[in-house]
Amino acid sequence: MPMQLDLSAAAARSPAQPAALTVAVDAEPDAIDLDAPSIAIEFSAFNDGRGLSLAVLLREQYGYQGELHATGELIPDMIHYLRRCRFDRVTLPERFTAAEIEAASAPHKAYYQGSASDPEPAFRRTSRSA
Amino acid sequence: MYQYEAFDRQFVAERVAQYREQTRRYLDGQLSEDEFLQLRLRNGLYIQRLAPMLRVAVPYGTLSSTQLRTLARIAREYDRGYGHLSTRQNMQFNWPELEAVPDILDALAEVSMHAIQTSGNCIRNVTTDEFAGVAEDEHIDPRPYCELLRQWSTSHPEFDWLPRKFKIAVTGAAQDRAAVAVHDIGLRVYRDEQQEPVFDVLVGGGLGRTPVLGNTLRSALPVADLLTYVEAIMRVYNRYGRRDNKYKARIKILVRALGLDAFRDQVEAQWAKLRGNASTLTAAEVARVEAAFEPPAYEALEDATALLASQRLAETGFERFMRHNVQAHKRPGYAAVTLSTKATGVPPGDVSDRQMEWVADWADAFGFGEIRISHKQNFVLPDVRQDALFELWQRASHAGLGTPNARLLNDMICCPGGDYCSLANAKSIPVAEAIQTRFDDYERQYDLGPLQLNISGCMNACGHHHVGHIGILGVDKKGKEFYQISIGGSSANGASLGKIVGPSIERAEVVGVIETILDTYLATRQDGESFLDCYRRVGIEPFKEPLYADAA
Repeated sequence: MPMQLDLSAAAARSPAQPAALTVAVDAEPDAIDLDAPSIAIEFSAFNDGRGLSLAVLLREQYGYQGELHATGELIPDMIHYLRRCRFDRVTLPERFTAAEIEAASAPHKAYYQGSASDPEPAFRRTSRSA
Repeated sequence: MYQYEAFDRQFVAERVAQYREQTRRYLDGQLSEDEFLQLRLRNGLYIQRLAPMLRVAVPYGTLSSTQLRTLARIAREYDRGYGHLSTRQNMQFNWPELEAVPDILDALAEVSMHAIQTSGNCIRNVTTDEFAGVAEDEHIDPRPYCELLRQWSTSHPEFDWLPRKFKIAVTGAAQDRAAVAVHDIGLRVYRDEQQEPVFDVLVGGGLGRTPVLGNTLRSALPVADLLTYVEAIMRVYNRYGRRDNKYKARIKILVRALGLDAFRDQVEAQWAKLRGNASTLTAAEVARVEAAFEPPAYEALEDATALLASQRLAETGFERFMRHNVQAHKRPGYAAVTLSTKATGVPPGDVSDRQMEWVADWADAFGFGEIRISHKQNFVLPDVRQDALFELWQRASHAGLGTPNARLLNDMICCPGGDYCSLANAKSIPVAEAIQTRFDDYERQYDLGPLQLNISGCMNACGHHHVGHIGILGVDKKGKEFYQISIGGSSANGASLGKIVGPSIERAEVVGVIETILDTYLATRQDGESFLDCYRRVGIEPFKEPLYADAA
């Protein structure tokens, strides 16, 4: 059983909930049913950044408020990118241990640039201290 | 130069900790070879022909004497006593142990350095003019914009996993020394009619298998919009750049496939949604970063004209050094000095640990403790007092860094080639050495005038052969090393790509062919025109004829 993580709850493990709709990383937002309560973006390889841009587009330019899942060949080291692009859940292959996921999921306390999850870049925060 | 604040220091420390953990997981078998490959590349670590290679980031080629001393120590303790200056103004170490890399990164972090995004399919080190901030022909210092782009592109949530590597260069001078036309994004910064800094944005330039000169995507972009506009370009590229074939994955291929106008339409459509958002640069942030590049505490000096004239008369070597390696400076009484790594018999760009320490000492003694690395693989001291030039020349000559050949034939760009690189089809260092040996005579080089000879050991074009006045490309022909010669390339203003002069040749023939090409130039030139100007006037045919005559 692959492991699913709830990114909003500090990557807590939760029972896998399949998304209502699954799309590929190269899907066009216009062709996606945005009434679906949850959409999984399927990564055929963890280093295919198209899935990140698609999530940002759905959130920022198509106003998608449902759940976004990341599925496919992902690794724990992608969790922080996924979280910042406003995915809610990520499903990882079984072989990764909880400890490994915990250690890899949040390498930085703060980032330079804004993101879909936190649009304020460091230079707009009241304190630039990390 | 930019001084790290607590924020920057913490970010780098966290990045080292992250990489140490990734290395441990790989060594423990938790990450596969392929997974770790992607992760280590984002931290500058390649596995080369003989050993790993670690590429340390030198943001826009600027470093302090303290940082350079640390690089010297790393060369001594973790490498074989030398480092290599790259065409992206970085420093590479060719012999570190994979297991030791986290410790090297710790040592780098102590002096605000790292290897973040020096390789991999992500936004790489932003490069610029090695004379930024001091050049006489500069409109605007490009370094603050390089630093703003560095911060914005570091571990970007959306753009760290691109179809292919992505290179940005910025120039702010009349003469483009940053080769902006052959970058994925090239930025020219200048003042508009209201005296506000604005950018012309070029896109889709690049070398590699398919060399292309960039085209202007937008003119006069305000500084405030720099990051949102670049973000719009990156999003279009990230979504539509090809990922099925690494040789067709650079943005230049996408721009060509869509057509410039259609590409621009997409970028503009994205930008319309992004413009004015929170990534828009504030005046306060631009001012904060600009303040980091305020000129150092220059003394009110006069130009040392009389002193230098007498020193030049007294010492021929110094006269030559002044002629080629000393650049005019914005401030009277100062000069910028190129310390050439192109002494005959030394692989271009290679510097020993002792040389690094000497350069650091000179930067402290004769300048303000700052050093540049040029994309032509030399060191530059940007702020040398003119009355100290003679002493600097003497010391540099003793240290093997005083060769008076900047911008002459032997000041060539050369990739590590088949001696080190696992991608190379052919060796490049022995070719460089053979040419340097043949043309070692100073008077002969001087007579040939400004010449840019660039050598790449394979199509990936790390040696920028397409934009050499003379370019040499290593190719594999039935398992043997061959070389293809081109002429007429340039990465400066009015950039052009070289044209191939004929069939590829064996290594032993290269020097003779170069000599024949240069003899043609000497016989054809008019009124002291340079090799490039001569070629542009007469075209390739007069250069081809004697080559074929030789073969017949």
